[in-house]
Amino acid sequence: MKIVVCVKQVGALGDEVEFTDDERDVDPDYLDYALNEWDSYATEEALKLRDAAGDGEVVAVTVGEEDAEDAMRRALAMGADRGVRIWSDELVGADPITVARALADVVRSESPDLVLSGVQSSDAVQAATGTALAELLGLPRVAVVTKLELGNGTATVHRELEGGLIDVVEVDTPAVLTIQTGINEPRYATLRAIKQAEQKEIELREPGDLGTPASRVRRMFVPPKGEGAEMLDGDASAVAQRIKELVDERMKS
Amino acid sequence: MSVLVVAEHLRGELRPVTLELISAAKSLDGPVAVAVIAKDPGALTDAVNLEGVDEILTVQVEQEEFENDVYQQAVEQLVAERSPRAILLGFTVGSMGYGPALAAKLGLGFASDVFAVREEGGGLIAERSFYGAKVNGELEFPGHDSVVLLLRPTSWQPAEGAGSASVTAVQAPSATSRARHKDWVEAQAGDVDITTADFLLSVGRGIGDKENLEQFEELAESMGATLSSSRPLVDAGWVPGARQVGQSGKTVKPKVYLALGISGAVQHLAGMKTSGTIIAVNNDPEAAIFNVAHYGAVADLFEVAEELEKLY
Amino acid sequence: MARDPRHDILFEPIQIGPKTMKNRFYQIPHCNGFGSEKPMSQAYFRAMKAEGGYAAVCTEYCSIHPESDDTHRVSARLWDDDDIKNLGFMCDMLHEHGALAAAELWYGGPHAPCMETRCVPRAPSQIPSDFEHLTYPKEMDKDDIRMVQGFYVEAAKRAREAGFDIVYVYGSHSYLPQQFLTPYYNRRTDEYGGSFENRARFWRETIEQVRDAVGDDCAIAVRMSTDMFMGEAGTQLERDCLPFVEMCDEIVDVWDINVSGISEWGEDATPSRFYESGRMLPWQKAVKSVAKKPVLGVGRFTNPDLMVEAIESGSLDIIATCRPSISDPWLPRKIDEGRLDDIRECIGCNICISRWEIGGPPLICTQNATAGEEYRRGWHPEKFEEAENADNDVLVVGAGPAGMECAMVLGKRGMRRVHLVEAKDDMGGIMRWIPQLPGLGEWARVVNYRKIQIDKLKNVEFIPSTELDAAGVKEYGAEIVVVATGGYWATDGLNGCTHDTIPGADSSLPWQLTPEQIMDEGKEVPGERVVILDNDGYYMGVSLAEKLASEGKKVTLMTHLGHIAPYMHFTLEAPNQHRILHRLGVEIVTYHMPTKFEEGRVLASHVYDEHGHEHEFETDAVVLVTQRRSNEALYRELKDTVGLDALTSEGISGFYRIGDCEAPRLTADAIFSGHRLAREIDTDNPEVPLPFKRERRVVEREALAV
Repeated sequence: MKIVVCVKQVGALGDEVEFTDDERDVDPDYLDYALNEWDSYATEEALKLRDAAGDGEVVAVTVGEEDAEDAMRRALAMGADRGVRIWSDELVGADPITVARALADVVRSESPDLVLSGVQSSDAVQAATGTALAELLGLPRVAVVTKLELGNGTATVHRELEGGLIDVVEVDTPAVLTIQTGINEPRYATLRAIKQAEQKEIELREPGDLGTPASRVRRMFVPPKGEGAEMLDGDASAVAQRIKELVDERMKS
Repeated sequence: MSVLVVAEHLRGELRPVTLELISAAKSLDGPVAVAVIAKDPGALTDAVNLEGVDEILTVQVEQEEFENDVYQQAVEQLVAERSPRAILLGFTVGSMGYGPALAAKLGLGFASDVFAVREEGGGLIAERSFYGAKVNGELEFPGHDSVVLLLRPTSWQPAEGAGSASVTAVQAPSATSRARHKDWVEAQAGDVDITTADFLLSVGRGIGDKENLEQFEELAESMGATLSSSRPLVDAGWVPGARQVGQSGKTVKPKVYLALGISGAVQHLAGMKTSGTIIAVNNDPEAAIFNVAHYGAVADLFEVAEELEKLY
Repeated sequence: MARDPRHDILFEPIQIGPKTMKNRFYQIPHCNGFGSEKPMSQAYFRAMKAEGGYAAVCTEYCSIHPESDDTHRVSARLWDDDDIKNLGFMCDMLHEHGALAAAELWYGGPHAPCMETRCVPRAPSQIPSDFEHLTYPKEMDKDDIRMVQGFYVEAAKRAREAGFDIVYVYGSHSYLPQQFLTPYYNRRTDEYGGSFENRARFWRETIEQVRDAVGDDCAIAVRMSTDMFMGEAGTQLERDCLPFVEMCDEIVDVWDINVSGISEWGEDATPSRFYESGRMLPWQKAVKSVAKKPVLGVGRFTNPDLMVEAIESGSLDIIATCRPSISDPWLPRKIDEGRLDDIRECIGCNICISRWEIGGPPLICTQNATAGEEYRRGWHPEKFEEAENADNDVLVVGAGPAGMECAMVLGKRGMRRVHLVEAKDDMGGIMRWIPQLPGLGEWARVVNYRKIQIDKLKNVEFIPSTELDAAGVKEYGAEIVVVATGGYWATDGLNGCTHDTIPGADSSLPWQLTPEQIMDEGKEVPGERVVILDNDGYYMGVSLAEKLASEGKKVTLMTHLGHIAPYMHFTLEAPNQHRILHRLGVEIVTYHMPTKFEEGRVLASHVYDEHGHEHEFETDAVVLVTQRRSNEALYRELKDTVGLDALTSEGISGFYRIGDCEAPRLTADAIFSGHRLAREIDTDNPEVPLPFKRERRVVEREALAV
């Protein structure tokens, strides 16, 4: 059994931010990098399936510069068997469709039984790469999976909708599944595993044809501070009424 | 060149985000078409026949409930026939299942979690946030005549007013659905995980004594909210640690964060300030929570709580 | 990071007399156990606060004359030129950081037992102290009054020469000037007693004389208690204090305002168990409403928003701190830099004060292991040197106070990777449930601070819900292993009185419980009646008594000691704790030791009863607070069974244990042990603490030659 897990090294901002000269991205000096939280759940899910099957291979694949190998090492320390990193300068600031194109050739060449990715990355929050990748691979897909059971030629998954309602879906395999947080408890890597992960192979590949980017960042900026809270007037009963209206409005979508 | 809205529905009911998509569509150039893909699309056409909608395109499918291949193939059909310049979907679990695939397959422009769109020089500019909502960014789509956008719910007002749209049935090929709906499982109450709750009612020192907690526990239940709290109540043992919001507790990002009697210590704000809508009630007008809240009331929280209880 | 503009007012300068404070942060006079005779420890300790942004830093109470000798307790002294030299260090170091130095000139009267100097203290009336035993003062005649006022003047001149910018005429805590003001101490019938003007005379004259002597060069401060809570016998706000402020406002440059007398000065240095921050603000505000000169005062302030409110609401001009400056000498700087989540907040445990009350030892602080170690061990609370062996991975087993502190400091010292592995699902160890005891909520700050700091450290990873056995530790892949598995309350009645277990003691039975079983494991205390056996002597017994009695149980608190919770006298918590237990109807049985536990009853005998006659106490449940034991099973297995050689061949070059799993101790000491190991992780033998600097006089052999 071979499972490919797509992982991403995400950047997180602290309280301060500066932008690059062209203002199209944040200055990397202001970012702290780590493995995308969703991807550790995806990796854990892959490892559980491999361990349950008794044998198999979990391959971590990432699109990123050399530093991105740190995040991949995390997945390897958890137990992924090997990794592949895809990069070319064209991929700087790439949109998720472009990233999916970069992933597609490599993933296809692995002939996986299953492809897992996180629902979204914490820095871009596009929630798109996994689904786009599925299309490029010609594979069925389910997004936002909170439970996964492999069958014979199909898998039964839980797709979690807003508000917690679960859609039980039968999906033909091989398939691409985007994994939601909370599906499992990602295992911790001991220091030994972390050290061993340093020795594991990470292959570097160039992407194929990336096509036209699906979007381009024109500029990034700090959102203007609001004027502070809109204050609700009136007595307790009026305030309560308005609160209910606001809650109803926000919750119904 | 039209703007195509794909209506979202669940278990026979139109989802409110659809009305927001219509508002967004109306703000762009070109006629507005709304696609209703369902087993019985006729049951939903009235709900989307609103002022500003020019055309309703119904696609009848075999499947009762959403399946991503079905939607994708139906929308592909509509795109092939209509060549819309923008395809507007909600940034929802459903759309995550096919929107990006559509863009990848047809080579369209794409952006999701978009909260503002406008026309510029014949093209579209979309605005979304990056890096955990700390910065915003403007996106453009050079080289694309057609763009798939997943719009953030509650960013537009729902459209209203009766419309006079034409209704056209569109034939879609019978879809091979490789991911098939089997069953529903209702949402569980289960163990408290405040990080996944959509609505948090959060209490702080302002509630005074432990005895008062019960009133707010009941209010949370009545309002359909999950109870959370700031650190002092957890330190004092009134509330379990799993419910603590803050730097040494959990970081939450619910749709609604209703803060009652919380002053807004830095460590607490760090745990909730990116919540969708923050409503704060505190009797201190200088409380720091008002700096991050979207709505605030300087009021006696017990009185407000009592009044809220009456409404539910 | 930038300061929150709402806190700008805290950084506005303010004039006091001829001096200017660069901001509103003031370290109020407080003890540290160093005095004038450990001058380097004193200077380094005080300077740390100036480095941390305090605009003014005070000595502890500073004796003006050998007649004011508080031995066994440690005060500063300004008796002679050598004292001027010694305290001069403190002034120099403070000035280097732009802070003013203040000397709290003190004459204790009957409260100072003069056990070293063998002098006789003088007082307004001849009544023994309500605080010290066996100390009788000489009743002052006019000559005595002039002489003692002269002591103040000479001491003020010495203070000026040493470099102090502010000198106090200190009366709070019922010291001499306040004794004259207060009927409880002053039964005189001459012009220094009786009416308000008479009772105020001594203090006013002394201030005038000190002002004449040094007032052009030094700011004159007066520390006054506004209310002793003793009714008409004590100082009262309206009758004594406010008129005194009005009378002396012109000759005073700054008012230092608090409450309480001396015998219950925990009403001033409020434990968090009973009081929140800012307890004295109403009294401080009352004084500020009649004073034209600036008013300062303490209130265990840790929250800058509360400080701003105290100033904006007209209660204080200057925010003074004592204990919050011990737990975080860099409080002002962190507020200035907007680093509020780095503030190490005081928990109000009063462990620092307990050392002074015991008399002799230097202070310690639960939150800040470096308090008092600035000179002795060269520790800086905010600066950590990169470890020489930083190229190593560390496993810390157990995330209680010792483990958290060790992991945090190792992280700050740049160790390559630190894994803090904990069996439970969260950090804190015993500090997860101790703050759930009545009144101890603020003690959770021990955990909160470390959690936030560890979260910020990229090289420290916290791994919960993982219980490692010996094999797991051995194979974890660390080069350095620190075992911090904590301790537990004895389950068999083993205790420090009989040095034996107690027949029938067995906490596996449903009707016998240990503190952990109640607080952490949720074991139910059956029935209505419960006997708590407390051989410990600190807070666990009384806290559980309070908790169970509040829940409706009929509680008997038994101890072999003559007092319950004697250590709480040192933390100033005893009076109010006794009041609470009394109010809750807790039966207190002292001098008794159980001889046997049986279901339904405890048999106990009086410890001084030579015949050992047994009394019966009927009960439904027994709580064993007899003594703590180390959780050393893992350490022992690794050292004895697996063996150090086997560990070495796994690549483990360092194997240590810290905290309660080595020996049970105060939380302050557990944190200290984790801190020390981390500071010394790159010495030749980290297990053995490096020698610390001892300030003592070393006599060369030649000096013996006459």
